[in-house]
Amino acid sequence: MLLFRGNDLRKGLSLEELQKVTDNWMAWFKRLTEEGKAVAGNPLEREGKIISGKDRIVSDGPFAESKETIGGYFLLNVPTLDEAIAIAKECPGLPYGIRVEVRPVAGECPIAAGLRTEAQFAQV
Amino acid sequence: MSTQHQNSYMLLFRSDDWYEQLSYDEIRNVINQNHAWVEELIAQGKAKPGHALQHNGATVSGKNGSIVSDGPFAETKEAIGGYLILNVETLDQAIDIAKANPSLMYGGSIEVRPVAEECPLDVRARELAREQQLATA
Repeated sequence: MLLFRGNDLRKGLSLEELQKVTDNWMAWFKRLTEEGKAVAGNPLEREGKIISGKDRIVSDGPFAESKETIGGYFLLNVPTLDEAIAIAKECPGLPYGIRVEVRPVAGECPIAAGLRTEAQFAQV
Repeated sequence: MSTQHQNSYMLLFRSDDWYEQLSYDEIRNVINQNHAWVEELIAQGKAKPGHALQHNGATVSGKNGSIVSDGPFAETKEAIGGYLILNVETLDQAIDIAKANPSLMYGGSIEVRPVAEECPLDVRARELAREQQLATA
């Protein structure tokens, strides 16, 4: 999975830059989809809520101003992390400060997998 | 014909290692409850199957993506452990669903974000283009 993190690119870019990034980004996703390498992708609105802890406290996130905010994602279907990283390097937002987090999707929940391993050791 | 307008909301799960303090049985129990919670949402047509994310990975940054740094991501407080896409009408409904997630009992947080129908950059570019057109008309 590619998670696109960074500041709001709508601020601070000229019209020409914004159009270029947008056109390139949409073309990039279109090409990856046609190649069968991207199976899903969406931009996210820079708003939302965070629900925390056992009291389920609802708070506004710092989405508008944080450079950690996730602005969108792609779900890739490629065989290796290296290939996903190579695709991430093509992101048109990189020159403008976007960081692309590349994360393998787990076949099963990693916590569950960890439990199974522990249980196996415990039985020995 | 349905007059409901379904929107999409993304739930991003942050776990901050809440499970480190729990016993095997407690963790197993929460995993099962979480699984049942997701399956129920899918059965109701309110969610599409999501994914857990592995704790490793990389971050690509810099002008040409020349900077590649490794994870692990489980230790940073911004790390995402998994996601789900909901199909419900309102943000409030998405929030209510997130509040019912069983693992929140032990900590962690869930980010609820509306999926944008159109790329916000594209929308803004068109706005700016219109403004420019009007200014020079």
